[in-house]
Amino acid sequence: MPNIVCCFKWVVDEAYIKPSSSGKIDLEWAEYKLSDYDRNAIEEAVRLQEIYGGGVTAVTVASSDATKGIKDALSRGPEKAYFINDDQFENLEPSQTSAILAQVIADQIDYDVIICGEGSSDMYSQQVGPRLAEKLGIPCIAFVNQLSIEDKQIIAERKTDEGMEVISAPMPVLVTVLPDINNPRVPGLKDTLAASKKPVINIELEDLASEYKRLLIDKGLKAASIERNCTHFGAGPEDIKAFVEAIRKTGVIDRG
Amino acid sequence: MNFKLTEEQELIRDNMREFARTYVDPVAVEIDENSRYPEEVIKKLAEGGWMGMPFPAEYGGAGVDYLTYAIAVEELSRSCAATGFTMSVHTGLACGPIALYGNDDQKKKYLTPMAKGEHLGAFALTEPGAGTDVGAATSTAVLDGDEYVLNGVKTFTSNGPVANTYVTFAWTDKNDKRNGMSAFIVPRETPGLSVGEHFMKMGIRASQTSEIIFKDCRIPKENLLGKVGDGMKIAMNCFDHGRIGIAAQAVGIAQAALDESISYSKQRIQFGKPISKNQAIQWMIADMYTDITAGRFLYYYAASLKDQGLPFSKEAAMAKVFCAEMCSKHASKAVQIHGGYGYCKGQKVERLMRDAKITEIYEGTSEAQRMVIAGNVLR
Ligand SMILES: Cc1cc2nc3c(=O)[nH]c(=O)nc-3n(C[C@H](O)[C@H](O)[C@H](O)COP(=O)(O)OP(=O)(O)OC[C@H]3O[C@@H](n4cnc5c(N)ncnc54)[C@H](O)[C@@H]3O)c2cc1C
Repeated sequence: MPNIVCCFKWVVDEAYIKPSSSGKIDLEWAEYKLSDYDRNAIEEAVRLQEIYGGGVTAVTVASSDATKGIKDALSRGPEKAYFINDDQFENLEPSQTSAILAQVIADQIDYDVIICGEGSSDMYSQQVGPRLAEKLGIPCIAFVNQLSIEDKQIIAERKTDEGMEVISAPMPVLVTVLPDINNPRVPGLKDTLAASKKPVINIELEDLASEYKRLLIDKGLKAASIERNCTHFGAGPEDIKAFVEAIRKTGVIDRG
Repeated sequence: MNFKLTEEQELIRDNMREFARTYVDPVAVEIDENSRYPEEVIKKLAEGGWMGMPFPAEYGGAGVDYLTYAIAVEELSRSCAATGFTMSVHTGLACGPIALYGNDDQKKKYLTPMAKGEHLGAFALTEPGAGTDVGAATSTAVLDGDEYVLNGVKTFTSNGPVANTYVTFAWTDKNDKRNGMSAFIVPRETPGLSVGEHFMKMGIRASQTSEIIFKDCRIPKENLLGKVGDGMKIAMNCFDHGRIGIAAQAVGIAQAALDESISYSKQRIQFGKPISKNQAIQWMIADMYTDITAGRFLYYYAASLKDQGLPFSKEAAMAKVFCAEMCSKHASKAVQIHGGYGYCKGQKVERLMRDAKITEIYEGTSEAQRMVIAGNVLR
């Protein structure tokens, strides 16, 4: 029976990302949420457990106030969580996040399958999964939208630019999943209440041997802005010419 | 004083939001149009543990506080006020009195399947001649051996056509206006109980409403709820906590009106700019947001008093009347912001305006709430 690990990130809910009138983004009042594809990762871990048995452990590297994220993840089915946290663990680089994950997973967690979301809702660098596999020295299968286990092998369907590819790999293995792999279930009331009672293993910076100093520093956030000039065009040939002329003037396209 | 919900309350709110988006939004228009009971949604609510939120786990509930329950009603009502009301009548008015006044046997037999959502409950108090004036009721309950014999007609019974269990009220002593009314639990299959036609309503059309008729309807003596003569007290107490649910429902409808108004006013272009750039529209939206926030904190306050075991009757009435009236006002303003499109089927605000009105009427009209408040303040 497989030991399944799912990794998740607690990110700013993009619904709260709004520019102020000066064009700055103020995140002081922002709410956080589970990164979208990580919901799929957790759901897939729980789905595999329902079919093949075993256990599901959720792991996150997060800032210390992400306690709600732990409850949220646990309400979706994993039976325990590793909360690797420090006040500095916000906006870590993918290399750092994956190094921290690798250290804790290698030292403390039995695993056959590790499932990550393809990328996070905030940065979408798509690096943490593959880097983690590399550090653990295990195979990595990315862009997965279907998963099963047969004879101690993982069978994954990958969605690539060329089409579908079905491949197998021995366990332990790391998989990064796409959103269409499943429909994450909505946690029921009792799932949320039970989540608060599940074990959480708290790991702080001083428990980790190495030092993780933030290298990427925010120098400022600015919103993309849309300027509407409310010009109307018809659909006749003359109008289309006028339309092309108008957008050319804006510099969006040029004669090339 | 700290105005922050707990992490658990926030998660439960977010999950109800997600539930409503997933299962309720897709059917909300259709069940309104056809006045259909969304059995499949109620079943999903039951599976998620939402149909008995504030009752102890030993009786099938989830054991959360009343505030958390009310927040869930708000979120559900934001998608569909009728579904929110179905849950709130079931929880507040049908399960509520059994949880508060029932004995252990009654809780095992009736409350447990109800709190699990396997059985739906209804509350049959109002009669054709007795609305605000509950004491004008004419239904009677006469003890005959080991049975009570019920006779009378109840009207406007929400969940009436689809319920399994009714909590109802009848005179055991007609001459005692204060302590002559008693409360009873009546299972649907009891001979002598019949269910009238489902009423066609202006709003909350997916909520099922009918008459319930008792004709020589015999129920075992054990189905008396509380003591003989407790009826009026039980009814009034039910209203006190039921009203918190209606206040929450009203806030949910108003929030939906605001959500729609914000997105529409940013998109609708008149005079070469989005209508949201006009101060007239901005002020409507500012007032909506202000009243919604005020209303939300009023019902949070009433619910938290109840959760602390403190008196909350006046506060529940204040929350109910304030939230209901601001909800009606702003649902109408939301239609105003949508212009002619808002007056037509296809825009959510059309339904919201119809749904809003009922919050000023049931579980005590706005006038009745003011009687409660004034009665407390002028005491
Ligand atoms: C959709 C719907 C669902 C309902 N669900 C239920 C249910 O599940 N169970 C249940 O038992 N009942 C239910 N009701 C009944 C509801 O609670 C009553 O309609 C309400 O209490 C008002 O009673 P009434 O309709 O008889 O109006 P009336 O009492 O006749 O009132 C008419 C008007 O007179 C005003 N008025 C009455 N008395 C006074 C006074 N003394 N001073 C000042 N003004 C006064 C009222 O405020 C109102 O404006 C429901 C009603 C509706 C419409």
